[in-house]
Amino acid sequence: MKFRFPKFLRFSVLAFRYSLFFLVSIIFIFFIAFVYSYGYSIKLLVESAQKDATILTRQTIVQFENVLQPVEIVPQTLVNALESPHVGYEDVQRIARDFVIRDLVVFGSCLAFEPYSYDKDQYWYAPYLFEKPDGIHFKFLSGPSYDYFKKDWYRLPKLLGRPVWTEPYYDKGGGDTLMCTYSVPIYKQLKGKRVFTGVLTMDISLASFDKIVKNIKVYKTGYGFLVSRTGKIITSPFPGYENKNIMEIAHTGKGKRTIAAIRDMMKGNSDFTSMDGLSAKRHQSYLSYAPVSSTGWSFGIIFPAAELTDNLLKFLKQMLNIFGWSILALLIVTILITRKLTRPIIRLLDATRKIGQGNFNAKIPIRKSKNEIAQLSNAFSVMQDDLSNYITDLQETTTAKEKIESELNIAHSIQMGMLPVAFPDRPDMDLYAMLESAKAVGGDLYDFFFLDPDHLVIAIGDVSGKGVPAALFMTIMRTLFRSNITLDLPIHEVVQQINKELCRENTNQMFVTFWTGILDLRTGGFDFCNAGHNNPFIIRKNGEVEEVNQVNGIPVGIDESVRFTTQHLKLLTGETLLLYTDGVTEAMNPAQAFFGENKLIQTIAHPGRLDAHGICDHLLQKIKYFAAGAEQADDITLLVIKYKEVQGEKPALMKEKSLSIQNQLGELEKIVGFLDKVSENWKLPLRMSMELNLVLEELFTNIIFYAFDDGKEHSIGLEMELLDEHTLQVRLKDDGKPFNLLEKTVDDLSNQSLEERKIGGLGIHFVKEMMDQVDYQRTEDKNIVILTKKF
Amino acid sequence: MELKEQKTENCMIISIHGRLDTTNYSILEKKLMELIEQHEDKILIDCADMDYVSSSGLRILLMALKRITLAKGKFALCSLQENIREIFEISGFTNIFDIHLNREDALKVF
Repeated sequence: MKFRFPKFLRFSVLAFRYSLFFLVSIIFIFFIAFVYSYGYSIKLLVESAQKDATILTRQTIVQFENVLQPVEIVPQTLVNALESPHVGYEDVQRIARDFVIRDLVVFGSCLAFEPYSYDKDQYWYAPYLFEKPDGIHFKFLSGPSYDYFKKDWYRLPKLLGRPVWTEPYYDKGGGDTLMCTYSVPIYKQLKGKRVFTGVLTMDISLASFDKIVKNIKVYKTGYGFLVSRTGKIITSPFPGYENKNIMEIAHTGKGKRTIAAIRDMMKGNSDFTSMDGLSAKRHQSYLSYAPVSSTGWSFGIIFPAAELTDNLLKFLKQMLNIFGWSILALLIVTILITRKLTRPIIRLLDATRKIGQGNFNAKIPIRKSKNEIAQLSNAFSVMQDDLSNYITDLQETTTAKEKIESELNIAHSIQMGMLPVAFPDRPDMDLYAMLESAKAVGGDLYDFFFLDPDHLVIAIGDVSGKGVPAALFMTIMRTLFRSNITLDLPIHEVVQQINKELCRENTNQMFVTFWTGILDLRTGGFDFCNAGHNNPFIIRKNGEVEEVNQVNGIPVGIDESVRFTTQHLKLLTGETLLLYTDGVTEAMNPAQAFFGENKLIQTIAHPGRLDAHGICDHLLQKIKYFAAGAEQADDITLLVIKYKEVQGEKPALMKEKSLSIQNQLGELEKIVGFLDKVSENWKLPLRMSMELNLVLEELFTNIIFYAFDDGKEHSIGLEMELLDEHTLQVRLKDDGKPFNLLEKTVDDLSNQSLEERKIGGLGIHFVKEMMDQVDYQRTEDKNIVILTKKF
Repeated sequence: MELKEQKTENCMIISIHGRLDTTNYSILEKKLMELIEQHEDKILIDCADMDYVSSSGLRILLMALKRITLAKGKFALCSLQENIREIFEISGFTNIFDIHLNREDALKVF
């Protein structure tokens, strides 16, 4: 099935196509704009996120520092004070105790001494006071169960000679909690030397950093985390990660960028970078980090990139939605507009289609507006009017022309009707004439008639010019000839008379070449007069052709005063006179060569047994063969008269013969014998006799094969009758089944190939082809086939 | 009607003498079918002495032509009398049959 546009789109392919093209372009342009603005928005978002994250990181670190600073300043001040001889350890201990109570972060403080340096008897001396929910507690850290000399908080400041923040650790037997310790070395002047005596420590609970870190919310799931100098996670929002090393986490299945970023962070640098997230899902994330300078820790903020663009995507989705609806609205508007634009074109199209189908009254919409479509429409309307007028004119002209042509045809029939065609049937001569006109109406004429039983007048002429004027002139000529001819005057005087009368009224200066003569059939004497016509030919008994030499006058109708002469020739029995017009000798072939007199003489010489009719036919056939389809330029007129010897009295003719035969194939011989006899008796031409033979055989075999199916003997009647001297009628009667052979259609056999040719069916074809007329009657239960043939 | 056979190097020539009509066509039919059965598929019919032919006779000639054409053989006629030729023309057979003016011409095609 062919695709069809939905009905609302079917108004115009053009409109639909343009709308579609328009929309596709818009969608394409919008798409590009979208892609660009998306990229640009992302860039802006990242930049803004970087700024925010960096600020947040710094702010958080400032918070850390605010907490840590007093924790560092107080013990340092106390240790400095210890170097003065007025300050004793007890003072320090008391101030430290106050500080522990006051400060929210510091929950414990310890003064730990070198062996025997506080008391000469004591190896360990480390008084430790610490806060618990129920109040301040005090204890000495000592003994093998808590060898503080091996703890980082003691060892490192002693080793480095400066205050140290320890890594986070769980102080078992000490604070019994996860903590970090700030430890300040204490030196005493002994014998002029500065000698390490012990440390003063401040313990802080990491829980207070938890609060700060956990309060950080970046986007939906972004978070902050704090790691120690060695990468230990001090605090993060995820339980169970404390004390784990961040480098280890970064190395377990995270990308290179993550490892590089964490490494950079551990070096104490600060940056904002994109990397894989630290969680198992490895979402693309951003990391902002910076060091906490006092403790050497680092603080970082991580948030997934997707969350950064979350809102943007939401916004874009909304935009697309709006865009989609806008496109739909635009489509409708475009369709409406183009529809309005193309509606007049479609109307115009309908109208022109109707005009094309011949309906010139189809209404073309006339439009007042001045746009191009209106102009086109109006131009069409004008064209339609012109076309309509033109067609009307053409029809009138054609009708007029047809009328003239039909009148010309009538004129031709009238003219032809004037020519005698009833040729005399006499034993002493044989006459035949024919006129083959070139145009519908020609200027040739021939005539013959008996002035008395022994005197035959013949005439032939050619009027100058062609067409209706020539035909009219020819009619006048013939009338004058018929009214003037008489045995009482010599023939040249008759011609002279005609000439005079023609000249009198001949305003058009038309003339006629004319040859006329009177044959005395008793003697063969021929008085004739030639007015400028072609010389006739005589075919002698031996078949040779001679031109009739004579005095040629000038054509009639030219000069009133011209004198014509009567001339005489004598036809012997068996001799033939041929009269013709120049249409014969001047017949042209496609190469523009004339048929000529020589060819004419050759053609008519030695006619053998040909009668007058045969000679005419033969000559005409030769001329046509010569012309080879070239258009006939002039009328061709022939008149042949053969002067015959009278061979005594003619035998009386039997007019009718009949034969009865049985329905047996063997009876065919009887038919053949009967035909032979009749042909001989009636002098039927040989060819006709054979055709009759063939036709009768076909009909006879047809009857015996198909007419009877009772197996009995039937008799078949054959009757032959001469309707006149040249018309034979044959009747074949049988009492078999009704069978009308005329109802059998006959194929055109001439162009059938061998494959198409059926075996059989020829018989009826022969009958129809060879007979002039075939009739069928069913009378008194008999089939009667009536054949008529002229010969 | 009489049939005369003459075998030449290239073909079989059948001369028909007299009238070929409904009463005797079967003689020619029998003869031709025999020849075709024996794979004698190059046949020339000499009609110089054939005075008459009816549609029954033509039918046999057409049948023989079809059979021999199918067998990729050659079937030709020669020396038709003027009136016989006319019958062939009327029946449209001059277009179908390979007809030659005389026997010499005809033999060239075999």
